[in-house]
Order: sequence, then C-alpha cells, then structure tokens
Amino acid sequence: MLILSRKIEESIIVGDTITIKILGIHEGQVKIGIEAPKEIKVFRSEVYEQIQKENIEASKSEKTSVSKAASMLRQHKAGTQGAKQ
Amino acid sequence: MKFVNRQFGEFEFDEKHVLELPEGIIGFGEFRRFLIVDDEDTQPFRWLVSLEDSDLSFAMIAPETVVSGYEGTYFKGENVTVFLFVALKEPVDGSTMNLRSPLVIDNAQRVGRQVILDDETLTMQFPLFSRSAELVE
Repeated sequence: MLILSRKIEESIIVGDTITIKILGIHEGQVKIGIEAPKEIKVFRSEVYEQIQKENIEASKSEKTSVSKAASMLRQHKAGTQGAKQ
Repeated sequence: MKFVNRQFGEFEFDEKHVLELPEGIIGFGEFRRFLIVDDEDTQPFRWLVSLEDSDLSFAMIAPETVVSGYEGTYFKGENVTVFLFVALKEPVDGSTMNLRSPLVIDNAQRVGRQVILDDETLTMQFPLFSRSAELVE
C-alpha cells in the first residue's frame, strides 16, 4: 500500500482522471472530496461490502423456500408499502 | 444450447436469451453470462441463473410486485427492466430484498448491471412481507 501524508487542501491524483482532495479534518473525521469521471464508481466501502453480503444471501435462496415465500406472497399481496422506510 | 444448474437441472436455452452483465454481480465478479428463469413453482419470483457456474443462481422479484412507486421514482422514463435481489430467510416471513442495488436491464441493448442507487435512505434489507417490518434495521 502506498502511504502519503497530506494537509488540508492538498490532493492526490490517481491515474489521469481521479483527484482526491483532503477538505477538512475534524474530531477524528477526515472530509475527502473525490473528482472522477461518471463511469468510475465511488462508494463507501461499507456500502459495497453490504451489497456483497446481500448478494451472497440472495444466492443462497433455495427453490423450496422461495416457493414457500411465493405462495405466501400470493396470499399476502403486500403491495401497498412505499419503497422508503 | 444446454446447461445444467444445481437447482433447475438440465435446461435448454437460446443464445439470444443470454443476458450479459459486463460488470458481473457485486461479489461474483467473474461471472458474466446469465439467464433469467421463470419457474412456475416460484412465481412471482424470478431467477438470475449463471451460465458459467452451475451452483449459482439468485432469487429476484419485480419491484411492482412488492413495493409501490419504486420504478417511477428511480427509473422514470428509462427503457429498463428492474429486479430486486431477494434474500430468503428461515422462517420465510423474515425474508428481505435489496432496494439499494437492483439488477437493471437495458431493454434495447439486452445488457444488465447491478446498480447502486445514490439514495442512501434505501435499505438493502426491506422486508418481503410487510408484517415483518420490525425486522428491518
């Protein structure tokens, strides 16, 4: 791993297109600004890791339990909730 | 063409029905070729079945079956087909679906990708059955 020390307002360039800038440091938190082309995906690693975890769960879904859920769903018709919590 | 899957056994498919996922599924990056399988026993669920690993399939569901307004909010006017990944739990009524990162298929190109929506309020563990809403984080 490459380790660099940076001060506030200083930045790092990755490749030709990605700039990472330290915007502020406050109470143990670092605020980072990232400029990257639209096609480069930037996410907090927890988000990515949780998706991975949920995908693994989805891949473990067995036909027998899915078919059980399917018949419950057909009875339940739980279609009225909004998408957000 | 023929393929054998652990859960669905041997099935035939037409090359034109193959769904390419150029970026793969997050965490399963090496697999690119899939089929969407509709199984009578498990409707309204659908399956994303790998054509490269006979052990790999994902349970999915069309958003309109379970949450209202989802596609209208996040994919308005786009020519896409959207599926939510479903994690089946035991007991089944604790099952959840991932609203944050659905499979989105471009209907014109017939190419799919698992997107990550910018809306951080979307949960990855939305209850499949509303009465189990308290199980959500």
